[in-house]
Amino acid sequence: MAVTMTTAEHDETNTTTAPAVWARGLVRKFGKSTAVAGIDLTIQPGEFYGLLGQNGAGKTTTIKMIVGLLRPTAGRAGIGEFDTWKDPVEVKRRIGVLPEEFNLYERLTGAELLDFTAAMHGLKRDEAISRRNELLDLLDLENEAGKLVGDYSRGMRKKVALAAAIIHRPDVLFLDEPFEGVDALSARLIQRLLVRYTEGGATVVFSGHEMNLVERLCTRVGIMIAGRLESEGTQAELCARYGADTIEDAFIAAVGGDDDRGAISWLHDSPG
Amino acid sequence: MVARLAWLKLRLLWNGLRKDWQRRIGFPSLILLLGYVSWILVAQFRGAMESLGTDARLQFTLWGALVFWLVWVALPVVIFPLDENLDPAQFAFAPVGPGQLVAGLAASALIAPSVVIPVIVLGASIVEFSHVFPAAVLSALLLLGVIIFSGQVFTTLISAIFKMRQGRDIALLMVLGIGLSGFLAQSSIRGTTGRLGLEGAVLANPLDGVWAFLPPVAAQRVVTSAEMGSPLGVIGWALVAMAWIAALGWAWQRLLNWMLTTPDSTPSRSRARSDRGLAARGRWTAGRVLARKELRFYVRDPRQRLVWTGAVIFIALAASSVLVGSGGFGLLASREWLPLLAPALVLFVGLPIALNVFGWERNAASFLFVLPVKPRTLLWGKNLAATWALMIETVALALLLAWISGGWANLIYVPGLMVAAIGCQLAVGNIVSVVSPLRLPREGTDVFAQASEQGCLAIGAQAVSFFVIGLLLVIPSSVAVLTVAFDAGLSPWFANGFAIVWGVIFYAASLVVASSILRRRMPEVVSWVQTV
Repeated sequence: MAVTMTTAEHDETNTTTAPAVWARGLVRKFGKSTAVAGIDLTIQPGEFYGLLGQNGAGKTTTIKMIVGLLRPTAGRAGIGEFDTWKDPVEVKRRIGVLPEEFNLYERLTGAELLDFTAAMHGLKRDEAISRRNELLDLLDLENEAGKLVGDYSRGMRKKVALAAAIIHRPDVLFLDEPFEGVDALSARLIQRLLVRYTEGGATVVFSGHEMNLVERLCTRVGIMIAGRLESEGTQAELCARYGADTIEDAFIAAVGGDDDRGAISWLHDSPG
Repeated sequence: MVARLAWLKLRLLWNGLRKDWQRRIGFPSLILLLGYVSWILVAQFRGAMESLGTDARLQFTLWGALVFWLVWVALPVVIFPLDENLDPAQFAFAPVGPGQLVAGLAASALIAPSVVIPVIVLGASIVEFSHVFPAAVLSALLLLGVIIFSGQVFTTLISAIFKMRQGRDIALLMVLGIGLSGFLAQSSIRGTTGRLGLEGAVLANPLDGVWAFLPPVAAQRVVTSAEMGSPLGVIGWALVAMAWIAALGWAWQRLLNWMLTTPDSTPSRSRARSDRGLAARGRWTAGRVLARKELRFYVRDPRQRLVWTGAVIFIALAASSVLVGSGGFGLLASREWLPLLAPALVLFVGLPIALNVFGWERNAASFLFVLPVKPRTLLWGKNLAATWALMIETVALALLLAWISGGWANLIYVPGLMVAAIGCQLAVGNIVSVVSPLRLPREGTDVFAQASEQGCLAIGAQAVSFFVIGLLLVIPSSVAVLTVAFDAGLSPWFANGFAIVWGVIFYAASLVVASSILRRRMPEVVSWVQTV
């Protein structure tokens, strides 16, 4: 049973400001299979929204449709007052997207990548240089600024990708697995940076599988199952709804995964 | 394991055909095209053989085997591979012995459209020597083994050199060297046959002595020995060819082993670049910065660098031809209008980039397309970089050709024709790039591919586009040529101005249309060019 709060309910409670991120009846089909089956989503400014789901649940597809990288089969999505598919440039001005690390320009240096992103976002040259240096310094990349991104480790790529996503101070930041491969110290640093960022009124949409981070950071969580937004609410609401103590238990209860699977006789028997 | 790898290749091929409509058209078209070309070449070869005496005929088949081997080995590296090979890295953790891996990869290499070429060529050889059928079949199989193993070893060798950042320039030089030596060899053969006739040339340059031990020659000597009634020769040359195949297999296995256990490139302090970024100098607009990024990729991406250094091949060929006085260039040296060819010749160089503006982005397209840049600015920035590169190449080439031909006076027409040529090339390129972007092969699976995955369609798109660009250039070129031919009856300034306006109008019109298409098709372009 879907228990997602309806769009009308959200609109009633927030009549004064446009939602930071919205989707209405978003559908995406690939041939005969349906990856996203009619999503209604409303995320308010200042929220740290966690989008959870099993692999293949449709999280990345949903985000791609909202940011304009994948055309929806049906439905609409947008940022603030702008529709992604009617005003793509206006939407892209307002968002930052942390791409998967292998989608970066590997033959640019870290400094060049940040300059390039800043220029595309229309930052002034001096401001771009100043922000780039601050970000490289903060993310411990100042000594690697002249190296090609292709020569970076996985964690360093995540960090430079994050810097590229926030250099223009977007209204909404989309993060897909942002802490994968990042060392603990940098991860803590990034978390602190993101929390301060949302405190300033910006919105973060976080998609990932690290439940402890979801518990620590997210103000609201949506759980996707088989292309649908099955459940949505604050962590306390979700825990209460599923009778769980933690968001991880609530998630597992929501996806119905806490069964007795995981026993394979040949795997558990000793070799030979 | 050999059968399993062959099955895997077959399955990948089948899945690719099922999933990709471009392949469904390109695959059979490619087989038909390759089959047709092979058939024509074989028919010409057999026609030439009929005019020769017995000794010359046998020597001629040895030369045929040698040339076939050289072309088979070198062409995929110089131009682009027709096949996608299995990626050996995928088997790094599989419990497969090195011998099994090499044999399996060799077997899988036989499941490819390009195999239609050896099937026709070797089939014709068997028919030609059908009166010594067993030896003909043995010779054909050995020659097939030699070309498959040699081709794989050479491609892997280039890949291995390419893997080391320090070696990339060496690999480029090798490719340039292959192109140059191929041209010189062709010129030399034409010169010799022109002087002595085919029979005389073959008999004057027999593949005897140490040359007889070259892999394809040894394999072909199996059947020529049978033809001469020498069973010992058949056995001996078959053993030599088999030894070659074993040696090539061993070398291939060593190379694969090295590649699987060596990281892609070793970052070093000496290779660290300036950390001043892109903001240090130059105009700070989205289009200009995008162009600056493109120019860096022209230099840093080995494949793009090869595309741009294609002009160097031509320059080297032109210079060497004039110096040795061979080929058609020797005749052109006396023509003072030679510099006017520079803009047209440069079209060959820029086409792979101009026709696939976003394909070169590969996965980074999804990074680029979430940036708030208008489609027109995207195309403009990329075109700006291509224009700079093409202008530099055109000017350099025009100066060289003026020096060769002494046609300094006609340099005055080059700027106009250059703008017209670049404008028309980019105009057609922008439309093709947004309507039919081509996915480039994943880096590491091919060496210098321009567009292999969609095979024949890529070739078709390039041919049609080149034809269209040529048509567009007919009028401005005619004005310039008429001006020269009629001894400046028209003002050179008029010819230049006309050509510039022509190029700019077509480019501007195309920019508007292509931007409008890109605005609607951005997600489709991203999904087409992404390689994983």
